[in-house]
Amino acid sequence: MRRRRSIFDIIDEYIEEIEEAAEDIIGGMFERPSWDVESSSLCPLFNISVTPDNVIVTVDLPYAKPDSIRVEAVDDKRIEVLAKMRRKVRFEDLGVSHMEGEFSCLRCQIPLPVPVDLSRAKAKFRRGILELTIPKRKGYRIKVE
Amino acid sequence: MSKPVRVVEKVDVPKGLNMLQGLPDVGLVGVIATSHIISKLKLEEVAYVSSDILPPVVVLYNGLPYSPIRIFGNERLLVLISEIAIPADSLQQLMRAVVDWIEEKEIELVVSLGGLPTPNRQNIESPKVFGAASNMDSLKILKEKGIGLIERGFLVGPQALLLKYCSEEDLSAIALLAQSFYNYPDPEAAASVINALNQIIKVPVNLSELLEKGEEIRLKMRDIMRRTQPELIRMRKSQEYDVPHYYVA
Repeated sequence: MRRRRSIFDIIDEYIEEIEEAAEDIIGGMFERPSWDVESSSLCPLFNISVTPDNVIVTVDLPYAKPDSIRVEAVDDKRIEVLAKMRRKVRFEDLGVSHMEGEFSCLRCQIPLPVPVDLSRAKAKFRRGILELTIPKRKGYRIKVE
Repeated sequence: MSKPVRVVEKVDVPKGLNMLQGLPDVGLVGVIATSHIISKLKLEEVAYVSSDILPPVVVLYNGLPYSPIRIFGNERLLVLISEIAIPADSLQQLMRAVVDWIEEKEIELVVSLGGLPTPNRQNIESPKVFGAASNMDSLKILKEKGIGLIERGFLVGPQALLLKYCSEEDLSAIALLAQSFYNYPDPEAAASVINALNQIIKVPVNLSELLEKGEEIRLKMRDIMRRTQPELIRMRKSQEYDVPHYYVA
């Protein structure tokens, strides 16, 4: 038989769930290395912020060749950023001798937090940082009486 | 009973020296600046932080384990640096232990280097540096050197605790903050903050070299920056953007 639950139990449970989800987002990012030997790629740092009109995505791209930067939609919830580096970086160059691998590009997939219109996105690359301005998809307008 | 966090000296550290601090924070400004200073001045490890409340991590060098939070130094200067992101919930106990040690060692002046998160950082050519102090003596230093004060606002994180604990014991400490990216390693901000530091404590290091190595630093610091980000969220770093409401004095 189901026990009757008080509203406080339900709220507590809810909060726990939210906290767990937040931990997953924060924690999940790190359980993978920030590099991938198979695709010779390093995962760059990125940041997402949402303004009233746009989703602004920035990506820190050290050593990127400006004309090699590609931004593609993976699906309507994710974009992929790929850039070739001006020089190859080996683990050895980073002071690590017990792993082997050489990296020639920066590559990451970025989740988009809200629906956007990628066809109207703008991109600029300045001081080693790529900045994408992606307009949010317009929703319904509610009539105010 | 042993304390939860201890500073353990490897060699006898003389009293009355100056100290710099560079703990992971926005833009890793302090970490980049102090690691440049440590390597250019060829400082050696003189003490380390030992604790059971910190994550189970050691840094390996030439096959031997070291504490990721260490103090380097020479006969004039001490530098505290961390090679790992510090869990936000351990910061208080860590900084208490560090300030206890500062008091024991009769440190003349502590200068903590860091970043001031600035949303339009990309449009800033040379980051400005601001300061805050723990007591009247250290405030006087900032004023004499013409370093702009953060007169009102919030400070969050290791620098906030340093100022607070030093203020309680009337120890002289200064936080220097260069305008920086929030979550990208910022070598330019690190150069700016060393520049300002030089007006207070002279550190003869080449700054153009730091700027030339900027891309390499940004690449190497990705992992620690990535791990610092969630700690910044946990300590509610974004409160530094807030405007205090307090009464008009």
